[in-house]
Amino acid sequence: MAAELALTAQSGRTTGSRETRRIRREGKVPGVVYGLGADPVAVAVDWPELRRVLTTDAGLNALISLEVDGNKQLSIVKDMQRHPVRRDVTHVDFLRIDPDAEIQVDVPVTLEGEAREVIAESGMVDQSLFTLSVFSKPDAIPDGLSIDISDLTVGDAVRVSDIALPAGVRTEVDPDEPVAIGTVTRSTLEAMAAEEAAEAAELEDGEAPAEGSEQGGDADGDGGDADAGGDD
Amino acid sequence: MLMPKKVAHRKHHRGRTKGVSKGSTEVTFGEYGVQALEPGWITARQIEAARIAMTRHIKRGGKVWINVFPDKPVTVKPAETRMGSGKGNPERWVAVVRPGRVLFELSYSDPVVAREAIDRAIQKLPIKARFVERDESL
Repeated sequence: MAAELALTAQSGRTTGSRETRRIRREGKVPGVVYGLGADPVAVAVDWPELRRVLTTDAGLNALISLEVDGNKQLSIVKDMQRHPVRRDVTHVDFLRIDPDAEIQVDVPVTLEGEAREVIAESGMVDQSLFTLSVFSKPDAIPDGLSIDISDLTVGDAVRVSDIALPAGVRTEVDPDEPVAIGTVTRSTLEAMAAEEAAEAAELEDGEAPAEGSEQGGDADGDGGDADAGGDD
Repeated sequence: MLMPKKVAHRKHHRGRTKGVSKGSTEVTFGEYGVQALEPGWITARQIEAARIAMTRHIKRGGKVWINVFPDKPVTVKPAETRMGSGKGNPERWVAVVRPGRVLFELSYSDPVVAREAIDRAIQKLPIKARFVERDESL
């Protein structure tokens, strides 16, 4: 459960790409505050301060007491844009929230335990759902959800219905939606087939010399011809 | 190798590659990825070589996603031909890549082996690329 973290934002920033670039050069992140029927406000926040509030256990779902022009308002980060190569934060959206109303947030889902049966069959656990969209009051937002995969087998799946949601948290995602599937990938099957073929070839090689070395010589000759044909 | 089944136009202009990638800049399917740091053309052969390098290194128990498709034909004129007489013949297929694009994704249980596999895949590419993870810290 997240505690409120204080963050101060400066309003009245000039919009436009040149001005925004100048703001970023000063070590600030341009952003916008909206929600609860009020007008959107263009703001700028200090990057170290923003980083501080978003690197707690609550992650991006941290509850922020955002101070704009002396007014404090409970908010969360709704969206964050990052540069695709430099990975620095280029823009942030704050959503004003009502402390008593339910909000929709994406909570990270982590797998716990070791799927021993899957590993024993050279399979893998393919996680298909990394975040779960949940509805909850702001003070009940979980930091993360975990699901046990110890009993997972190949061809089987753990589903949304298997996730134990804390009290006051609900989801509208289909309960049959798979979170993780135990599977043996095509490349693994190919690798296993190749290993088996190599082992079979080794066994044949071990038996072949007893029958006569002339056959081996012929086979090499044929192989050489085939290679020459391939080059043409 | 990857190539389109059919195309509207057999020969394309070369074009310019400006700016950074507009999409597919995050690891979406797997846990690790190869991210391009330079613009360039990746040929179908290079994509296949990188895929094979990765899958051979992880041996078994992993999954690879290829996020780029070589849909641009590159033409080449025959050797010792005089200039003119029209555009050359389609020779190979390439994927146009801008910086930031996640080219491959990988899911594997051991992060050390996954990183080694991705480093091997990067060796097969004609551009600078880096190892990226799904959960990036701020």
